Amino acid sequence: MTQQLAIIVLVDVGNALSSRALTDNTYLFDNMKLHGSENQGTGDLVTAIHGAYWRDGSQAGEQVLNWLPYSLGSIPPTVPRSYHAIRAQQTDRQALADLAELTNGSRPSGADAEAVLAQIQKSVGMRVKTARRTRALSGKILDVTGKVVSDHSRETHSYPPPVITDICGEAVDEKIIYPAAYGSPDLVTDGWYWSATVDTSRPGTYAYTMEIQLHELAQRDGEMIWEPVNLTCRSTLRITSDPRRNGFTQAGTGYLPIAPSPFA
Amino acid sequence: MKMKMHVNISVVVDVIGALSDKSLLNGNLCLMDDGPFQSTGQGTPALCTVVTPGQLVRWSALAVDLQTPVEIKNITFLGPRAAEEADADSSDPDGSVDSVDSGQLDLYEWAGVVPTFMARGVPYKYRLDLQMYEGEHSVLHVDSPALMRL
Repeated sequence: MTQQLAIIVLVDVGNALSSRALTDNTYLFDNMKLHGSENQGTGDLVTAIHGAYWRDGSQAGEQVLNWLPYSLGSIPPTVPRSYHAIRAQQTDRQALADLAELTNGSRPSGADAEAVLAQIQKSVGMRVKTARRTRALSGKILDVTGKVVSDHSRETHSYPPPVITDICGEAVDEKIIYPAAYGSPDLVTDGWYWSATVDTSRPGTYAYTMEIQLHELAQRDGEMIWEPVNLTCRSTLRITSDPRRNGFTQAGTGYLPIAPSPFA
Repeated sequence: MKMKMHVNISVVVDVIGALSDKSLLNGNLCLMDDGPFQSTGQGTPALCTVVTPGQLVRWSALAVDLQTPVEIKNITFLGPRAAEEADADSSDPDGSVDSVDSGQLDLYEWAGVVPTFMARGVPYKYRLDLQMYEGEHSVLHVDSPALMRL
């Protein structure tokens, strides 16, 4: 009976990092359009949560919110977990094979050899380190198609997906939502997802803030690393509460609407 | 023996399957009840729930994927003579079923008490209309489930 309410947070990571703000670079969607959510696909989403109460005033039905962060312009999170490691291995092997071919003397002149070496250097790409122990971040700098990026300052590259690190704000302070990070066997979001139950007894519009962590490519001590950048994003919930009614009578419980049959 | 006075009928819907096939058949709809008598057709759209007068029968919709919403839009009893009707599963183009705002369907509780004048052993078929989000083919129905008095 309970439907899980999902809010998708789609972040244009590249632009968010260059403007150091999530405003105008975040697109929010939810699956409550039928309940009256407004501004789907923008940063001003107002999520409509349909509460219900029984005749005695107690809450009828539990609304559960889930947040799903995604990155716009990155390798999709649905690739196998070992994708980044495998791509790194494949390009390394290819570079080694090219080097072997070069030293076997199949290319005679020195200028040509230099050109080939430069080519191999381009194709081998650069490794990137990370402080976090997740496979999604380690490996080489890749572009969105999985190809190795040779000059990251000039070419676009894939970013790790955004991570929601906290949900706070008015809705949490007023105890309208009770958010927490839960572990999940689905590793699409690294095994963590944010979920919240909603207290629908106080209808109204409440704002909440998501603290989102993006990762930026940076050079430290001669190495490339993914550095975390923390930004915030606001959104709004609109809670309504209506009485639950009987579908047959539109009021309380009664007899089933079966017409008395003359053929008893 | 203490009589079980509540009968719950679960309407389990594979919403993605139903919307892809535009049909509640092919395994997209599964009806089950926990009545104390020998109901037939458990797990199919042709569930025949055996009931006795005074019992409270309650239908609840459950989507196999919790993120795809489904709500019961209407339950209409067709009368005992509806046994001859073929099982229809096309979507309902005219809004004759209900004028209720589809966004409010989750507020409804589909429950009712079994009346005393049902003929014994005769399946009273009902038409179950389900609303899956919105759109042209979002309302699908089946005519095959029934209640039968013990």
